[in-house]
Amino acid sequence: MNVTLIDSPVANTANIARALRAAGAELHITNDPGEIASAKKLVLPGVGSFIAAMRWLEETRIADVLRKTTAPLLGICVGHQLLFDVSHEMGTTRGLGLVRGAIVKFDGPLPVPQIGWNRVTCRGPLFDGVASGSAFYFVNSYAARGATSEIARADYNGPFTAAVQSGRVFGVQFHPEKSSTAGLRVLRNFITWK
Amino acid sequence: MEVIPSLDLLGGRVVRLTHGEFSSAKVYGDPEDVLDSLEVPARSRLHIVDLEASRSGKPFETDVVRRLAKRDLEVQVGGGIRQLDDAKRWLECGAERVVVGTVAASSPQLLRRMTETLGPERIVPAIDVRDGVVRVAGWTRDAETSLSEVLARVEELGVGEMLVTDITRDGALRGPSFSLYRELRARTRMKVIASGGVSTISDVVSLTRLGNVSGCVIGKALLEKRITLAEARARTAAINAIPERIIPCLDVRDGRVVKGVNFVNIRDAGDPVECAKRYEEEGADEVVILDISATDANRATALETVRRVADSLFIPLTVGGGVRTLEDFRAMLRAGADRVAINTAAIRRPELIRECATEFGVQAVVLSCDAKHVGDHWLATVRSGKELTAIDAITWCRRAEELGTGEILLTSVDRDGTSAGFDIELLRAATSALTIGVIASGGAGRLEDFRDAIESGGARAVLAASLFHDRVLTVGEVKTYLANEGIPVR
Repeated sequence: MNVTLIDSPVANTANIARALRAAGAELHITNDPGEIASAKKLVLPGVGSFIAAMRWLEETRIADVLRKTTAPLLGICVGHQLLFDVSHEMGTTRGLGLVRGAIVKFDGPLPVPQIGWNRVTCRGPLFDGVASGSAFYFVNSYAARGATSEIARADYNGPFTAAVQSGRVFGVQFHPEKSSTAGLRVLRNFITWK
Repeated sequence: MEVIPSLDLLGGRVVRLTHGEFSSAKVYGDPEDVLDSLEVPARSRLHIVDLEASRSGKPFETDVVRRLAKRDLEVQVGGGIRQLDDAKRWLECGAERVVVGTVAASSPQLLRRMTETLGPERIVPAIDVRDGVVRVAGWTRDAETSLSEVLARVEELGVGEMLVTDITRDGALRGPSFSLYRELRARTRMKVIASGGVSTISDVVSLTRLGNVSGCVIGKALLEKRITLAEARARTAAINAIPERIIPCLDVRDGRVVKGVNFVNIRDAGDPVECAKRYEEEGADEVVILDISATDANRATALETVRRVADSLFIPLTVGGGVRTLEDFRAMLRAGADRVAINTAAIRRPELIRECATEFGVQAVVLSCDAKHVGDHWLATVRSGKELTAIDAITWCRRAEELGTGEILLTSVDRDGTSAGFDIELLRAATSALTIGVIASGGAGRLEDFRDAIESGGARAVLAASLFHDRVLTVGEVKTYLANEGIPVR
């Protein structure tokens, strides 16, 4: 088992599991903090509300495990947002604090939530073999803007952070499991990252 | 592309005429009040039409233009400028440019003299076209010169751009004449300021994508608050960020893909998993599965199909057919659907939309609306278009947006299965009334249909079923075509 997928009740775990397997992962799916603490590599999915997802992580003590572990970690969608210091979704909620910055609402002329493909300017090992400007599939009403550890950027009502890397911690605002070959490649890059 | 607000003046007030008829004037008020209400930023270009002058041939609204020119705006004035002295008079009033129509079409020597005396940067030649023929004198008669001759004449003068109006579109909110501007792109190197019919943000985006349109004049749509200047400007700055989507649809019955005209003579067309995978490989942005046999009895089969397709598909999957309750909706999501389309059940009980949106998020909810043209509007239908309701389709789509729908799958029952092209008027009616995206469905036959649904119809995605099944066109061919037409695709 080289990748552990955190089985959150506020995530569409099944679709991400399918994609991780298709990208070559030997997958273990669990919500046990002990198993997560000893994992070699971790994927944190999430959909819906930041507050609900964060509350679950704190209550299960998985939040503490994720703050202490040295295993590479990939957050997806709301899982990506949870990595940040804070979110301003309906009030202010503290995140895992593994990545500097804040999650804010999309404001501007385009309809929110963003639902659909968007082009991403990207660099770094997570996007190895993915042309900058490739499109990924997004579903989100909130995002980080101009995060310091930004490795990918897209534009929706202004530029926003599409992916981050801070050492062993990675996050993608898009859904790699729904982004066809480009998305599978990102997952494979994470699975093989050393 | 520059977005240029336009004010037509009559008797010192802002008005709008329909098809150039003075008797149809609708009054909007004092020009400065109107400018304030439009929130026109400083240093914007402002297009002024002196309607009285266009009728009489003498500058009339000079006081108003003087006032407006003092507001740190770049004013261009048109209407009945048929002498060099008139043009000078407008410039003395503070206008930056004069717009000359009749002169450009009918008096080549005078046009040349104006350009030489005042400078080419002061002159905007205006060409008014109706059905391919140039019109002059306040649109009251045909010019003696053909469009080709006028174009050749204007090109020689060294002016940067020309204003081109399709008279049949002006003030009618039917959309700009994309075909005319596309034709001009092929016929002249000159930049075009498009005028007439711009009524949605999508129109502004589509004009920008044409490449030869350097500006667009917007009158009625701004005055009627259908669009705002701020939004139009924001959108023209990012026309290629978000790719438009191509969505193949699989009609499924009892676990097999089927096809048949109007659901008669249905024949087997393959395995849904293989079809869906092929579409992803061809570059589909999403796949829709509509289970046309969905009843309580064979729900298990329908869910199994969704599960099998979701297992091997790595693009978004939308599923519809026979979803009646929150639990049906949940079962589809559990089986692997990303979004679920609801239709008949939502018409019978609209609250279902709100319940699903609250439980699963608006992004998961797609309203499928089958619209049928009746008289001068469209009515929603149920049971795959077989049963007409008394509900106005556009009103229903707006209601669904309020209740919590992420997107509308809008099918023209009249066009479905005909290959005669999408119902552009239906699409425009829906996209101009909604903030959320519309998926165009029903009638795809040719490559141009996909372009028109996006460009003129304002659709954010285009769906086709049999066209892709029968390999009349592949998803890849459609995307290559759209990219060549300046429409961004993944």
